[in-house]
Amino acid sequence: MSSFFVLFKKEFRGQLKTYRFLIVIALFFVFGLGTPLLLKYLHALIPAEDAVIGIPEFTAADAVQSYISSLGQLGLVAAVLVAMGSVAGERESGTAAITLSKPVGRGSFIVAKLGALSVTFGAAMIVGAAGCYLYTVVLFGNPGGSNFLIASLLGALYLLFCLAVTVMYSSFVKSPLAAGGLSFVTLVAIAGTAGLPGIKYYSPGALVSWAEDVAMAGGPNPWWVLAVSIALIILVIVAGWRVFKATEL
Amino acid sequence: MPAISCQGLTKHYGSVVALDNLALTIEDKVIFGFLGPNGAGKTTALKIFTGLSRPTSGRAWVAGEEVVSHSRSLQSKIGYLPEEPAFYNWMTGREYLTFVGQLFSLSSRDIKKRCGELLELVDLSRDASRRVSSYSRGMRQRLGIAQALMNKPGVLFLDEPCSALDPLGRVEVLDTLVRLKEQATTIFMSSHILADVERICDVVGIIDRGRLVVESGVEELRQRFAHPVFEIEFEEPAASFVGLLESLSWVEKVNAAAEGNLFKLRVSVRDVATAKVEIPRLIAGSGLTLRQYQMVLPTLEEVFIELVGNRKD
Repeated sequence: MSSFFVLFKKEFRGQLKTYRFLIVIALFFVFGLGTPLLLKYLHALIPAEDAVIGIPEFTAADAVQSYISSLGQLGLVAAVLVAMGSVAGERESGTAAITLSKPVGRGSFIVAKLGALSVTFGAAMIVGAAGCYLYTVVLFGNPGGSNFLIASLLGALYLLFCLAVTVMYSSFVKSPLAAGGLSFVTLVAIAGTAGLPGIKYYSPGALVSWAEDVAMAGGPNPWWVLAVSIALIILVIVAGWRVFKATEL
Repeated sequence: MPAISCQGLTKHYGSVVALDNLALTIEDKVIFGFLGPNGAGKTTALKIFTGLSRPTSGRAWVAGEEVVSHSRSLQSKIGYLPEEPAFYNWMTGREYLTFVGQLFSLSSRDIKKRCGELLELVDLSRDASRRVSSYSRGMRQRLGIAQALMNKPGVLFLDEPCSALDPLGRVEVLDTLVRLKEQATTIFMSSHILADVERICDVVGIIDRGRLVVESGVEELRQRFAHPVFEIEFEEPAASFVGLLESLSWVEKVNAAAEGNLFKLRVSVRDVATAKVEIPRLIAGSGLTLRQYQMVLPTLEEVFIELVGNRKD
């Protein structure tokens, strides 16, 4: 077994044993079920006489759009919180020094972490999306399978970008808290660029708004966002590896 | 070919010089004790030898290979125990050793066999199925030693291997290290427990402020650097005798201590020949009841204090 698979297996088992896998799955599941449920019963929660503005009647597309929109915020926070200690935590505790004194490449060390985190968040996305789709169908009707799938995949790519950025910062610094702070600021800034003219067609932050447009079955397809996001994911992994390779433990 | 060697090894952390032109040659199948006060550069040297840190300048060779960062070939030949070994707390002791065996690409059968041997060796067989988070500091230290031995390394680097162990645990670990040396392993251990170093090391190196003060065999070092010491035990207090000794020009220092009914003196001298003649004569004339008298070489601790203690600002 190559060192990558040994490390990947260890990472994934670590996520299972420390309940991070279950917590992320549960979070996305609750969130997937809750979004259409909240929209459906918003009228009941806020009586018409109490509402300052009128609450419109929501559709299946609204439920999916709302789910994707929330994914861009809650998913970002979850990704940062779960991934910020991935490398920095090991450096801080000293486990990295023992592991990396064995015949293990630092690239494998980082990619195995990102791989295991991606599997966790991928599984959580599937569970959350399944919950959201099911409740949307039950409460609002069919939102359109292909649009829902594409919107979810774009959301998943955005989460992968958030994880890659956080793992990169985690390999730059020794403190998980500093890695989390840097990642959060960077990702919020990138999300902010999604509304800027010119940049919005290239920024990974626009993945979420693109996914929302797909959910609403409208809007342009900014393919450059896809290409730039994939390129940036590769770039931040390479940057994390290069910096970590030069880091003394 | 030496098992470990280095030339001009220097390491700077900003303006701090952690290692200053270190040169060492350690032969195969010896236990080398690396001594020095806190912050002397011991851990820095260990990290460079294991490829976890890079020198600012200079070169090092371990197990026939030049040390370069992240050399998998080198890392497969060595074992390393950091000063405070850290583990994945959610793993059990056996799971951790299995993980380490997999990193060395050992077969499942070899890993199982080796885990059993190592757990037995470090006396953790009964606790192998417990999570590492529940281990005491001594148990973690022993697990650390076990993981360092997983690949049957030719060269073993241990940073303070006995620091967290109780006296019995220390004896067991030291005996294990001696057995490993007999099995053709070269051991490089840093320690501040000088009695341990004195007990098992063939060669010692003393480092202070990044510079190697001395590298020598333990016996040779004691002969070379220390003034001979005479131990005298009386069956009653001997304060006046201590005063008499302290007034003599050939006596360098007298340490006196009462232990139960015994009064023990440790006399360092400048002139051994004179002391050999004069001390028995003075004892005979003192009227004190002599329990024991012998000339001993100083301990490694005394050598260490002489070499390093005198250099303090």
